[in-house]
Amino acid sequence: MNCLEFKRLALSDPSSSEVSFVEHSDTCPDCLKYVGEVRQLDADLAESLNVEVPTDLKARLKLATEMQEESEQRSSISRYAIAASVAIALFVGGFMVSNQFGPQPGEIGKDYQKLLAAVVEHVNEQPMTPVWGNARAERTVNTLMASYDPSLSFNEIENLQFGRICPMGKYRGLHATLESANGQTTFAYIKGEPVGEMLDHSYEGYVARVKPVRGGNLVIVSRTQQSVDQAEVELQKAMVWDI
Amino acid sequence: MTNQSNETGEDQVNYDDMNKNRKYALLIEAHSQDLYKYALWLCKDKAMAEDVMQEAFLRAWKSLDSLREAKAAKGWLFTIFRREHARQFERKQFQYKDVESMDSIADAQMGYDDRPEAFALRNALVRLPQEYREPLEMQVLGGFSCDEIASVLDISASAVMTRLFRARKKMRQILGHESTPELGLVQDTRG
Ligand SMILES: [Zn+2]
Repeated sequence: MNCLEFKRLALSDPSSSEVSFVEHSDTCPDCLKYVGEVRQLDADLAESLNVEVPTDLKARLKLATEMQEESEQRSSISRYAIAASVAIALFVGGFMVSNQFGPQPGEIGKDYQKLLAAVVEHVNEQPMTPVWGNARAERTVNTLMASYDPSLSFNEIENLQFGRICPMGKYRGLHATLESANGQTTFAYIKGEPVGEMLDHSYEGYVARVKPVRGGNLVIVSRTQQSVDQAEVELQKAMVWDI
Repeated sequence: MTNQSNETGEDQVNYDDMNKNRKYALLIEAHSQDLYKYALWLCKDKAMAEDVMQEAFLRAWKSLDSLREAKAAKGWLFTIFRREHARQFERKQFQYKDVESMDSIADAQMGYDDRPEAFALRNALVRLPQEYREPLEMQVLGGFSCDEIASVLDISASAVMTRLFRARKKMRQILGHESTPELGLVQDTRG
């Protein structure tokens, strides 16, 4: 192999283990330097394309398939409820913190209205969510929680109906619903800087509440003040942090 | 070449003896991370990258029985992903018309290294003609060998070698590592 052939192969396959390639690089300092540069370029390029993979990605992929399977198995009897009267969105937050997307932890407090808007708009966009059995809903929400924040566990809520990771505006989180007297209920937890105090806000016919909790914020959106209060009490009991 | 491939002992696993759920879990465990990096780079949008990935994994799940060997899993999965990406990207193109325009702020939002050197590398990659860029992306991001790339792209291994040669040659020129073509082999007129 001559230098020209060597350089050609170095550009095609810089890690080639072809004998003549390896031998040439052992005897030709110029070519050794050349292939070293090419390998460095590859390494630099790989590094420039490297990103942090969302911590819950694997769990989400598994769940998406599981949900698809189950919905196909019982598509004929699948029940859908319209989340018209009450909607709460549960955000497993910090996805955006962990992958450097969206507000940094310190900005979340300032950003709470955007957060509420994102949740309400998501609920408006997706007024129908499946109604699952409680066992499945519990399992799903717990799996998602564990993959996201191992210090947070979610105790039994007997009216939990549904949970899924959804993009909501610029955030991403678990969209979960609770059954209540007047329909479905959804709620949101965002890991990051808690807002200073609890805030209620009305938005497009909803009552929306941001509540600072340990490690983040809880977002509750519903049609009535009473439903917000009730959900808040239930969630207060259900969400438990280890530390 | 790159150390992106991290199958460890995965390749030795016998898929035939395995139930579908286990096989699927292994597929996700072994390849979802590399695929995510590849997906984000192709889609230039986090939500879309995950969308396409989720669809691809659903399709993978449905045809999992056709996957017999663990060592073929990665190529198989990337092939499914590429097909799904082509399908969805076509459909959503009007919404994502700006993704080709690169800027370092958008890159940083996606989680990429925001140093100028890193941006210059990504920018050089984007400037490659697609047929050269694709195999290089697969090699650098997916850790694929020339033969694996050949089978995913459905071209000959020697065509892959030629494209990789031209891709790196052009990268080096764009980055100023090589001033003019000195090997007499870069005759692409595609700019
Ligand atoms: Zn030489």
